[in-house]
Amino acid sequence: MSKKITVVAALLVLVGAMGLKTVVAGDNNSSDVTVMANGGAPTPPSPWKRNGGAPTPPSPWKKNGGAPTPPSPWK
Amino acid sequence: MPGPLQYFIWFSCTLLEVAVLVCAYRRQAIRQYFLLNLYISCEVVASVARFEILHHYGLLSFNYVYFYYYSDALLTILLFLALSSLFSQVFGELNAGRYVQFGALFLLSATALFSFAVVQQSSAKLLSHFVFELSQNLYFVGVVLTYILWAAILKLRETRTRLIQIVLSLGIYFSLYAANYALRNLYPSMESVFNSLNPLIGCFLPFAWAYAFWRIPDEARLEPSRLAVIR
Repeated sequence: MSKKITVVAALLVLVGAMGLKTVVAGDNNSSDVTVMANGGAPTPPSPWKRNGGAPTPPSPWKKNGGAPTPPSPWK
Repeated sequence: MPGPLQYFIWFSCTLLEVAVLVCAYRRQAIRQYFLLNLYISCEVVASVARFEILHHYGLLSFNYVYFYYYSDALLTILLFLALSSLFSQVFGELNAGRYVQFGALFLLSATALFSFAVVQQSSAKLLSHFVFELSQNLYFVGVVLTYILWAAILKLRETRTRLIQIVLSLGIYFSLYAANYALRNLYPSMESVFNSLNPLIGCFLPFAWAYAFWRIPDEARLEPSRLAVIR
């Protein structure tokens, strides 16, 4: 067993894991639903949630000032 | 704010985590499973800190959201290291410990690089998105690694009952979360139901590990005939 084989095996694991993530996420954007795997604390709403009818919680990534957000230049 | 049932599940989960530490200490398994116990200790600390922050600021506060996701990322890294220590134990007899450590560090770095590459072009708050993405990706790496470890245990005919119990319970734990994640994606309208299952699933791992430390002595061995044979 050499280091090269270890590197190849690690990369295969990474590719497999990302493939699994894509398969499990299905058609949805994976950032809409979060996997939180540690402890029994209640999960706060995902700051990236965009679907559904529930009111969207304030995003922690956009909290500077109260000015209206301009339209995204990417849309 | 969470309801009484959520608080009960959370409190039970934390108690089970303390039980893991107590059982490991009583069975003198702290040193042998050091990273596992370190992970559980940090879980307890994170649980207490999360409770304090939730109690003071509320579920939707920035403080709780930030602390929850950042602490979860750290805990996932610790869980990954604990998993790599289980690899070291299983492959220890093959003198492959050095390669396992190198592989674990390389995989952690590669996952971090991949996560950074994913978020760097689409995020203003780079660090926060990176931490979140790393946590998610590392979780799926953990899923795959656990399945590989299951296969290795069968192939190498590992007989240490406690080690097998710990690895099997980790695999079931990861699988439950993955199934829950998939179901939430399949049925977005029922997301609140599946979300409420998360803390319940979180109780499984400390329960299984506490049982493993409490009921299964270190010298217990499975009969080789009871393990499936892979040729």
